Amino acid sequence: MAGSVLALTVLVILPLAFLGWGSVTADGRLTLENFRDALSSRLYVQALRNSLILGLATAVLSVAIGLPLAWAVSRTNVPGKPFIHLTAVVSYLTPPFLTAIAFVNLFSPRAGLINRFFRETLGMPGLTFDVFSMAGLILVTVPHTFPFVYLLAASALESVDASMEESAQILGAGRWRTALAVTGPLVAPAILSGALVAFVNAIALFGSQAIVGLPGRVFTLPTRIYALFDYPPQYGLASALSLIFVGLTVAALYLQRRYLARRSYVTLGGKGSRPQLVDLGPARWGVFAFCVAVFTVTVAAPYLTLLAVSVSRSWGLHFWENLTLQHYRFVLLEYDVTRRAIWNSLILASATATLAVLLGSFVGWLDLRTTLRGRKLLDYVSLIPLGLPGIVVAVALIQFWLRVPLPIYGSLLIILLAYTGRFVPLGVRSANAAFRQIDPSLEETARVTGAGWLRTFCSVTLPLARPGLFAGWMLVFVPALQELSASVLLFSSGSITLAVAVYNLYETGALGPVSALAIVTMLIITAALALATRLGRGQGGIPRGERGTAAQ
Amino acid sequence: MAGIQIERVTKRFGAVTAVRDLSLEIRDREFVTLLGPSGCGKTTLLRLIAGFMMPDAGSIRVGARTLSTPAAIVPPERRGMGMVFQNYAVWPHKTVYQNVAFGLEVRKVARGDAQARMARVLELVNLAGLEGRYPSELSGGQQQRVALARSLVVEPDILLLDEPLSNLDAKLRERMRWELKELQRRTGITFVYVTHDQSEAMALSDRIAVMHGGEIMQLGAPRLVYTRPANKTVADFMGLVNLLSARVVRSAGDDSVVAVGGEHPIPVSLPPGTVAGQTVQVAVRPESLRLSSPGSGAGAVPGKVAEVTFLGNIIDCHVTLDDGTRIRAQVDSGRVLEVGQTVGVEFDSRQASVFSA
Repeated sequence: MAGSVLALTVLVILPLAFLGWGSVTADGRLTLENFRDALSSRLYVQALRNSLILGLATAVLSVAIGLPLAWAVSRTNVPGKPFIHLTAVVSYLTPPFLTAIAFVNLFSPRAGLINRFFRETLGMPGLTFDVFSMAGLILVTVPHTFPFVYLLAASALESVDASMEESAQILGAGRWRTALAVTGPLVAPAILSGALVAFVNAIALFGSQAIVGLPGRVFTLPTRIYALFDYPPQYGLASALSLIFVGLTVAALYLQRRYLARRSYVTLGGKGSRPQLVDLGPARWGVFAFCVAVFTVTVAAPYLTLLAVSVSRSWGLHFWENLTLQHYRFVLLEYDVTRRAIWNSLILASATATLAVLLGSFVGWLDLRTTLRGRKLLDYVSLIPLGLPGIVVAVALIQFWLRVPLPIYGSLLIILLAYTGRFVPLGVRSANAAFRQIDPSLEETARVTGAGWLRTFCSVTLPLARPGLFAGWMLVFVPALQELSASVLLFSSGSITLAVAVYNLYETGALGPVSALAIVTMLIITAALALATRLGRGQGGIPRGERGTAAQ
Repeated sequence: MAGIQIERVTKRFGAVTAVRDLSLEIRDREFVTLLGPSGCGKTTLLRLIAGFMMPDAGSIRVGARTLSTPAAIVPPERRGMGMVFQNYAVWPHKTVYQNVAFGLEVRKVARGDAQARMARVLELVNLAGLEGRYPSELSGGQQQRVALARSLVVEPDILLLDEPLSNLDAKLRERMRWELKELQRRTGITFVYVTHDQSEAMALSDRIAVMHGGEIMQLGAPRLVYTRPANKTVADFMGLVNLLSARVVRSAGDDSVVAVGGEHPIPVSLPPGTVAGQTVQVAVRPESLRLSSPGSGAGAVPGKVAEVTFLGNIIDCHVTLDDGTRIRAQVDSGRVLEVGQTVGVEFDSRQASVFSA
């Protein structure tokens, strides 16, 4: 208990307290001028506006894409359901900066392959698209947010008991009437919840906003906060902006919780029957075409582009004439920065996952199996980081560790603290779910038989919870490996991470090596998932319907 | 006119045949129960009648109107039936009033008429005053009544009920049973009722169709099905039954004799065609056996009391016959019986059925 309290204090409470303190002080005196600056300067109001536009547009589009896919998979006889599900999962797992870089290669105003194709080959400059714009930013963000709506809506649609709809039907309501009067209202909370999670995630994605937004001068809150750390750093203003950002995130998450709590119906009904699938007839090929289009934009286009860029000597309309593996050799063997970044990220992700699950296990166990005072509070505190965008965690840690006389700033340790703080909610949730499934009587039996507390925990609780804890480990490992939002403010040349290396390479314009490194990143993630699936006997990977509000 | 004619209907799910070449005629205003263990095809048959499934063979008609054939079916929303589901399927996002009024809205019933019908039906199921509540604020029994009211308000000719009482506790189930029967009598709606509870079936039905393996084993009035089961499956399903192996001593219709429990003759009715020496099975319910003092009456089979359980209203006891056969009997709770005591087991030929072994 004491250990968990200490850990959460250092990871979450103190940095947040210092963030708050930093936002209301300037040169050692209390003041509100940071907030006044943040809310009056056109620069920051514009950033806030852009973040809101981005979040709302992304949420709407996520519903527009995720809901039809969810409906098709759970309610119709559309062909290729595993393929559609895989599209959503792969989109979810793909690092957002990777999608952004791929789309830059296709749609940057001058060098973008598709733009050049329209302009030079077809002579139709009117059909070109500038990715460095709000529209472009939305385009590269939606692939990472629609899976939230898809997963939540699909599980809601599947869990609506068939008899709910059949009752309407037998009373004379046709298919549309039933959908409007019964199914719609029943799954609406899940859809809205997915849209809000999409909103929260969209506004927090530093990578795409920096890669696509900055060149187009589309500033958002994360990129503005990032810019405040240029010399001379303006910590006070950064803290104030961070808190405004947190306010936005927390408001959205609060809405989601409240709406779900008040109107959650989908878990009703005991042994329910599955709804009958709608026979779409020939129309199912139309629906399938829609799914293929989503796959093309969110998975095929980014990966094929990066693959092509990574093996071509020069990127252009005739890129296949000069194939090479030199970029891979460069990032894997020659360039020590990228080699270090790969190792750093592997170490960080493994350590973070282990710490988050460990801490999560203690908090979950205390919550479920003891009656200690304050255990509920511990549980709540461990969920706070859900409301903290990555860059805010970084700002808070900087505020805290700059005032503590321990030289961890610029080391791997501070990044580890940031990651662990960010992802501890995932660890707590997984552990909580894993322990919840174990009936206390199984442990009590061991105690009655004469086993002590530790023996019981090690030989009964842990083995039973293992698959769930392992899934939680993977749930943290994957986003930690590709973390950019916090790392980008905390890294130093010695503690550079994969995503930061990709971002820095991108800024120097080395598209070949960037793409090669991006592909390597994805291969590591794939290998880790494959390993996890084998080790966890099918328990690994992203569990269906799992809501990770802290991706990237 | 809302009789249902089911003719030679078959429904398969992959390799499993859920309903096999089944024919059943349900008369207008009749209360028919489809009774059987889970997996016997009773719910499938109900869903075929409702139109949620298409038969693989056969046809379903209501009056002169053909509703289901393997070629085409009238969709559920155009059948004008009502259905009550096992889990009630009361919509959680609508109030009691909105739930019940839904069918009237769909049918575009004029406001005044609708209000009168709503008031009447809510009164009928005892829900008046709860119109504004949401289902989560109702007890199981009340939700059940909302489901009933929702189906009744549209005044269907046929009401289908899929184990509507199985989620209620025993006391409430008993009361709702009585209310359902009363309701059917008052409304004159044809009820098709699915259950696996034989006492429920007997309490409610005009006729019971006992189903097994997708077929109807026996169709008849409750008393007939209980006292004269058509075969061992029906006998076994309709309550407790002793199945005794017996040898035919004399085959003469209602005046026959078989030997049980080590060559002790008992009177039975035998189906024609049975011959002396043949082995048969005698099915007799525990409550139709009588226990007498040993040697008191002719035709009593001697045995020893092996186990006695006091159940309050009756005593349930096991008797071991001479040849080791165990037989179960239920007697008046005023009787004093002790383990080890010798008794005579008396059979009543009118209450024993004989099946070929």
